[in-house]
Amino acid sequence: MLTHREKERYDRQLRIPEVGKEGQGRLKQAKIIIAGAGGLGAPAAFYLAAAGVGHIRIVDDDRVDRSNLNRQLLHWEEDIGREKTESAKEKLGRLNPDVIIETVSSRIDEDTVAAMVDRCDGIIDALDNFSGRYVLNRSAVTLDIPFFHGAVQGFEGRATTIIPGQTACLECLPRGEQTHAANPIIGITPGMIGCIQASECIKYLLRQGRLLENRLVIFDGLEMTWKEFNIKPRPECSVCGKKNRKRHHGDNTR
Amino acid sequence: MSVTIHLHKSQRHLADGKASVDVAGRTVNACLADLIQQYPDLESQLFENSRRLKKNVEIYLNLESAYPDELAKPVRDGDEIHITLILSGG
Repeated sequence: MLTHREKERYDRQLRIPEVGKEGQGRLKQAKIIIAGAGGLGAPAAFYLAAAGVGHIRIVDDDRVDRSNLNRQLLHWEEDIGREKTESAKEKLGRLNPDVIIETVSSRIDEDTVAAMVDRCDGIIDALDNFSGRYVLNRSAVTLDIPFFHGAVQGFEGRATTIIPGQTACLECLPRGEQTHAANPIIGITPGMIGCIQASECIKYLLRQGRLLENRLVIFDGLEMTWKEFNIKPRPECSVCGKKNRKRHHGDNTR
Repeated sequence: MSVTIHLHKSQRHLADGKASVDVAGRTVNACLADLIQQYPDLESQLFENSRRLKKNVEIYLNLESAYPDELAKPVRDGDEIHITLILSGG
């Protein structure tokens, strides 16, 4: 049930046939994890909160630095030195007091990930490193949680949607290697890609539209082009191979 | 026999600024070898010392991921190869 205030707040999207009261109810009931409160996490969090996703858990172990402010719009000059999760919670709470914002200020690794993603309906991959992304990808596939991947550098970004048992996962692609240099980036790029991730998440929750399943889109901000590539689940993938084979053979047990 | 290789933006300055280069070859590996013959500076962008693809390089053949065994994939006249780089920034 939507309150009077929620009906007013979401009036314009309630008018969209693909949303309506039923869809808005789905958004309200959903619990989404945003892993990373940085360049990708900021737009994803703003748009999910604004759309009325009822429960958002933000995970980040970092503090706000001045060099974050060109792109991480959740954090402002006065937040320098604060925990990013606290800064994010304050802004999102002020944007939409009708959504629950939960924070976890710790690093994502093999030991912490299961508790972080427990009983959620989707994970936004807004991390800034490969190791965390692969941990999160494995956990999402194991626990059957949709995983909305995005990554950026400079004017270039990419996104894909991973549905366990149906699509390729991150480990079906070549495994990237971390460099230790600061990632060059301008805010418009994670702005675009974070919005794609939020769009995918909302579409998934609404059960509407066509997701980026087995499709990788690459955004080139300098040429202003989107290129779409097909990716396929690898049968021998150590993370998703077994699950995808089971599903392919009609065995839907989890 | 001609195959078009689309270079990643960061590699184009090593190929006279070209976004794509026409090459000849029956496998992805042969096509990349022809590319490097035309523009030798690209070799260090694409390959480790051991002639293995660098870890951050992705190859798409006719818009389909060529991973794994990218280099052995056969190609035909008119095929298109895209070279992209895996990103981790957020």
